Amino acid sequence: MTTVALGPKDFKSELKPIWCPGCGDFGVLQALYRALSGIGRAPHEIAFVSGIGCSSRIPGYTTAYGFNTVHGRALPIAQGIKLARPELLVLVAGGDGDGFSIGGGHVAHAVRRNFDLTYLVMDNQIYGLTKGQLSPTSPHGLETATSPYGSLEDPVNPLAYVLSYGAGFVAQGTPADMPGLAKIVEEAIRYPGFAFVNIQSPCVTYGQEVQQMKVHKATMKTLASVGHDQTDRIAAMRLAQDYGKALYTGVFYRNPEPPPTFEALVRERQTAQGERPAREKILDRYLQRAT
Amino acid sequence: MARLDLRPRPALQPEYCKGCLRCVDACPKDCITQAGDLNATTGVRPVVLHLDDCNGCQLCIQACPEPYGLVPQKAPGETASGAKAPTAAHDPGEFELEDPTHLFGAKTSTLPAPVDLPGLALALPTTEPLMLKGTYAAALGALLAGCRHVFGYPITPSTEGAELMAKVLPHLGGSFVQAVSEVAAINMMYGCAGAGLPCMTFTSSPGFSLMLEGISYMIGAELPGVVMNVMRGGPGLGNIAPEQADIKLMTRGLGHGNTHAIVLAPSTPQEMLDLSRLAFELAFAYRNPVIIAADGYLGQMAGVVRLPATLTRPGLPAWAVWGDRAHRMNLVCSIQLSDTDLEAHNHHLNDKYADITKKEQRAETWLCDDAEVLLVACNTPARMAKGAVMDLREAGVAAGLVRPITLWPFPIDEMRAILTKRPRARVVVVEASPGQLEDELRLALSHAGLAPPPIQSVRRMGGVLPQRGEIVAAVLAGQDVAASGGVA
Ligand SMILES: Cc1ncc(C[n+]2csc(CCOP(=O)(O)OP(=O)(O)O)c2C)c(N)n1
Ligand code: SF4
Ligand code: SF4
Ligand code: SF4
Repeated sequence: MTTVALGPKDFKSELKPIWCPGCGDFGVLQALYRALSGIGRAPHEIAFVSGIGCSSRIPGYTTAYGFNTVHGRALPIAQGIKLARPELLVLVAGGDGDGFSIGGGHVAHAVRRNFDLTYLVMDNQIYGLTKGQLSPTSPHGLETATSPYGSLEDPVNPLAYVLSYGAGFVAQGTPADMPGLAKIVEEAIRYPGFAFVNIQSPCVTYGQEVQQMKVHKATMKTLASVGHDQTDRIAAMRLAQDYGKALYTGVFYRNPEPPPTFEALVRERQTAQGERPAREKILDRYLQRAT
Repeated sequence: MARLDLRPRPALQPEYCKGCLRCVDACPKDCITQAGDLNATTGVRPVVLHLDDCNGCQLCIQACPEPYGLVPQKAPGETASGAKAPTAAHDPGEFELEDPTHLFGAKTSTLPAPVDLPGLALALPTTEPLMLKGTYAAALGALLAGCRHVFGYPITPSTEGAELMAKVLPHLGGSFVQAVSEVAAINMMYGCAGAGLPCMTFTSSPGFSLMLEGISYMIGAELPGVVMNVMRGGPGLGNIAPEQADIKLMTRGLGHGNTHAIVLAPSTPQEMLDLSRLAFELAFAYRNPVIIAADGYLGQMAGVVRLPATLTRPGLPAWAVWGDRAHRMNLVCSIQLSDTDLEAHNHHLNDKYADITKKEQRAETWLCDDAEVLLVACNTPARMAKGAVMDLREAGVAAGLVRPITLWPFPIDEMRAILTKRPRARVVVVEASPGQLEDELRLALSHAGLAPPPIQSVRRMGGVLPQRGEIVAAVLAGQDVAASGGVA
């Protein structure tokens, strides 16, 4: 592992983002550049995996190894990478549809397995890339291209979901407070285990009025300002209930005693010396060696 | 001391034993050891039982992961060799119970058997032709066929069809549901179709891939439903431009198992409407899903569309799980645990496929009577091919067009008739795929026992469509376009 002094510019690729002007994802990208320069891992030591969506374009705009993969499948793909190359810093990003609709089934299991991954969801409560359909985080009643008379469904609460799945790090941020977001993302990356950041990233083209940057600026409240204790999961759960009503930013929960990660446990098992004889015995049985 | 065996002792069926030795560890009386000899049928060493100390605890039977490795002896003292290998016809044992068709025993009912309630054709007032884009025309066709339930997941370039449905269905007593994924969407169709109602989805290639599992189940359970696949460029995410590289998947790869479905290939907005209507008729006639193979260009292209003279009010098939007393005995499933039952079911499906192959081939032929060059093309490339035929005729080449409207079954009867009349004609397959249409043609020729004519290829991929000019040039030069390295 190389730790060198790197600035935000070192993580900026040649590609010019093709997001709509004003899209919240620009701010997320800026925050990410800052966070990565704080971490100090060289770009070639980072694998950045995303699904499909406007937000999932983000790896291409960094100098990390980018994987723009399959709609909804970024988490399993990231786990494959982490198992193959545990030394890499693996980041995962995508939209709310990618993460909580088509990919929703994978989240619980990525959390449960506790790989050292950082999962950034750019939650704009709408499908951006496919031009404005209902998202799993769209509020009840929202009129979209596929719910022209208002959605009949209640939204997913990403914060409460991931907390109850048992994640060791759960936070929320908004590009309306870019330095704050950068700090949260950096903390998430530093957490040894599965870390989730829900980023309220406005879609200026298809998103709702109340979901825009200036509303965020006016309404956001840091968790520190309400006296929240990051190690209190139940308090975090209680605050998470306000998803969609209040915009809290900061760390909802950080496990003060992070359990070993999946890849560490795998490594441990691979190197456990005591198990050799048992292994031989299994081989004997299955290979039916002549006695 | 007299001993009472409360439970039968185990009998080994060596041909089912995989030699895992779990029973050896399980037996508290050390009655089981590994034998020295390989079993001739399985190629593994089965265990041997020495039952002198056996108390019939059956822990070995519980430990055995094979359903029939160790079974309870029939009568005290019966030997392993005396135990009969279970087959579907006898000794159902506890595993047979999982088969839903037998789960509750033979079903009896004093109720009258449900009957097919036929659909009704209602006259439509004559209207002026409409100007519609392809996906809208297909949605309209479905509505006219009586479809009121649409399930989908957004994907370009198919989404507008679903969006239109979301707008109109609530006014027609129906509903559109945006599923969490294509996997969920196709399974919602499974449910809705099981209730006997016409339903549909709009998707595009990556989403179609995800639906294959559900389509296989629907074919197995014999359920109707219409899947509109507006093909885009692949493989993987590819792009959103038109391609035809799902032909292989739709004609040969509808999920696992012995599956086929009629594949309709429109080439105009009018046909998007007509074939979408027809798809529902065929799906219910054959109790099988029907796939509409459109391409990204057709989905977006607007054109003049005339409405038919009638619309359909759907009936209710006798097999539907409708939830009234008459339909009480109906069961929809694709599970057949007994091998002989499943073989019979496959024979039944094969008969259906044969029937479809005989009756449902469709093609448009144009200027083929005197043709020396036969262009074969479908979907949007067929429009370019039509233009090329005109240009070639002007240049003095007698060209004609065969446009398959059903890709499965391939319209080989039409092809045979033309090739019999024009035995020296050469064929040029024009497609936006690496030869998948040509493969269908070659396979159909081969099955029909016809010697293949000389076949030339004009293929573009990745969202690039074959252009009229390049088709003409290829025909005149007698040279393939981009056929090298293909799979043909
Ligand atoms: C299997 C499959 N189905 C559908 C799509 C089309 N698709 C691409 S992105 C997307 C959702 C976009 O919404 P979100 O994940 O919230 O990201 P955003 O664009 O809003 O950032 C969909 C449905 C696809 N690429 N693959
Ligand atoms: S559509 Fe919305 S999410 Fe996508 S780039 Fe534009 S503003 Fe951003
Ligand atoms: S029934 Fe019990 S005692 Fe008899 S062989 Fe099986 S495990 Fe051993
Ligand atoms: S448990 Fe069953 S399969 Fe395994 S060795 Fe014993 S009889 Fe054979």
